[in-house]
Amino acid sequence: MALNGDSTSAEWLSFITSLPGVPGQEEEAARELKKAFRTVADRVERDRMGSVYAWIDGIGPAPRPRALLAAHMDKIGFLVRAIEPGGFIRVTEVGGFDSRTLPGKEVVVHSTPPMIAVFGTRPPHLQKPGDADRPILLEDLYLDCARPEREVRRKAQIGTMVTLRQRPIALLGDRMAAPGMDDRAGVVVMLRTLELLRARRPAWDVVAVATVEEEFGVVCLGARTAAENLSPQLGIAIDVSHGDMPGAREGDTVPLGSGPALAIGGNIHPRILDGLKRSAKALAMPYRIEPCPTGSGTDAMDIQIASEGVPTAVIGIPCRYMHTGVETVEPRDVDRCAHLLAHFLSELSPEWRALEVLK
Amino acid sequence: MTGNGAPRFQEGVLEALSNAPGVSGGEEAVRAILADCAREGVDSMEVDPMGSLVARIEPAKSSRGAGGSRGSRRGGGPHVMLCAHMDEVGLMVTAVEKEGRLKFRRVGGIDPRILPGQPFRIGPRAVRGVIGALPPHLVPRTERDKVTPADDLYLDIGASTREEAEERVSVGDYAVFDTTYEAWGTTRKGKAFDDRAGCAVLASLIQRRPPVPVTAVWSVQEEVGLRGAAAAARRVGPDLAIVLEGTASGESPGSPLEEQYPYMGRGPALTVQDRSLMAHARLLDSIQETAKRHRVPTQWKRPGVGGTDAGRIAISGAGVPSAVVSVVCRYIHAPAAYLDIRDAQRTVTLIWHTLESLKKEWP
Repeated sequence: MALNGDSTSAEWLSFITSLPGVPGQEEEAARELKKAFRTVADRVERDRMGSVYAWIDGIGPAPRPRALLAAHMDKIGFLVRAIEPGGFIRVTEVGGFDSRTLPGKEVVVHSTPPMIAVFGTRPPHLQKPGDADRPILLEDLYLDCARPEREVRRKAQIGTMVTLRQRPIALLGDRMAAPGMDDRAGVVVMLRTLELLRARRPAWDVVAVATVEEEFGVVCLGARTAAENLSPQLGIAIDVSHGDMPGAREGDTVPLGSGPALAIGGNIHPRILDGLKRSAKALAMPYRIEPCPTGSGTDAMDIQIASEGVPTAVIGIPCRYMHTGVETVEPRDVDRCAHLLAHFLSELSPEWRALEVLK
Repeated sequence: MTGNGAPRFQEGVLEALSNAPGVSGGEEAVRAILADCAREGVDSMEVDPMGSLVARIEPAKSSRGAGGSRGSRRGGGPHVMLCAHMDEVGLMVTAVEKEGRLKFRRVGGIDPRILPGQPFRIGPRAVRGVIGALPPHLVPRTERDKVTPADDLYLDIGASTREEAEERVSVGDYAVFDTTYEAWGTTRKGKAFDDRAGCAVLASLIQRRPPVPVTAVWSVQEEVGLRGAAAAARRVGPDLAIVLEGTASGESPGSPLEEQYPYMGRGPALTVQDRSLMAHARLLDSIQETAKRHRVPTQWKRPGVGGTDAGRIAISGAGVPSAVVSVVCRYIHAPAAYLDIRDAQRTVTLIWHTLESLKKEWP
């Protein structure tokens, strides 16, 4: 990998979104992310659950407080559920797809060596009347590797990871579509943030964590365990926010290119939100407030309730068509999120704590 | 696999054709590739008024009888029209919205269920665009079990305004699936194998002077009503016609056995009957006997399904005995189709030797 601190966000996005890694099978992604973070961090390590930690040492007096940044490195995908006669593969999903976006799409079956496959479709010539009016459910979909059954059985097994196969697409306005922007775009924000912090050292220690198993749905495992390990005094999750799309209600989305989406709600500590807004103002940077009335649905949910409670905030990168193969972001928004975070963190005073002692 | 005395299948041509855009009515790029690769070998070549590419190639001198002139049946054998359609199914941009989104209509038979989440290449500049879908998080429960009508979908090329979009695309631009040709084992993956497979088989056949006079027709607008071949057949006026197709395999897990055939990898599929044609019995016999004699495995296409240019050619003028021979493909009319490269060579081999036998059997 030739990417480093001089690479653009678009280059990083292109590389990092293409790494595989469904929840629980993040090894390859973690290996590459370790290398990537080494180009910008003071040290990089992996915890027992598999999350990657990248440290920037602060310059305040020791013992220094710690800020935890979290973006999840897992992305949604599938596991092989059955191999049928003819070598056709049935899958189960990890993370939430709308099965209506899958027919006809190419995937990679991450066997050794990997196999290309497509979700099979019945051409209109062979359909029965009314077929096209019924959505195809995941349990009715199948993968076709176009290889002999014995070869498929030799290479793949129950549980083998499957991911959407779609190279990043460059759109107008420098926008980019790829599977896995959720939340590899957040990982790129962390990379860029650390790079900026290296030049402008904060008083605090900053640990950027590429977390595992956010999309599994039961618990944001990597975020929870990292927060327990690190006992941070502050935590910020970086994830994608729904971009503007026809059919979505106003208030559920933020426009692409409108800068960071700053979440507001119970999952967000108001003083961190205030600080982020002040930083945006200082940088003359546009941002949006994203209402999260019942929780943010990000790593911040589990960071907030880790150990004795952690003040948290969420920064969102506007992203259209989430959980499809064409998740679309504007790299400029990624850069803005990084600049905002770097400014906020480097402005943090060594004494800042969320805990208020009233008497 | 060798051609068993027949020309070799030109895989490079298939790859170039599969990657090229050519929605019905916009076949120029495909035609340019075919014209380039046919130019050397043929005796004459023209683009007809509808846009079909028509190339004439006479038999080698040694196998031509006295007076084997254009269209002659004396000694040269029957004049055979071989036809494959250049066009593929796709989209046409019908409007540019003020937010920069593109509305579109489908051209040819595309199941609307394969559109959400699908990337396309749009217009002559191959601008990339995606058909998005509402994230599952935001889909109302009542909508989850509904198919989104194609009319509600749009192409997102990243533009934020109509002006920005119109710098790169125009109303009337065609869009094709953004799929790249790939190979593993004997499998080939790509878009538009219906009917670039047939186009490449035909291009491979005319690398060499055939045993009988042949007019190769690469037709336009098959997918929107078998239109190009109708006009071309009148112009060519052949004695016989064989249409070369990429047809749909029935294979899918869970389907009843009687719906699974034809199978990819089991040889060319022969048509008895479809919704446009009763194959000419005697011509079909010649093809079958040739297959047996030259040990080319063949299979039947499911009767009653689909329609091809042969339906139009057969009823052209005073009638043309016609048959259809197809390379069996999985997932035609979808972004990524499969075929077995051995089937492509087998089809070249079968047609070549059929032409040899027609010379003797069809005076």
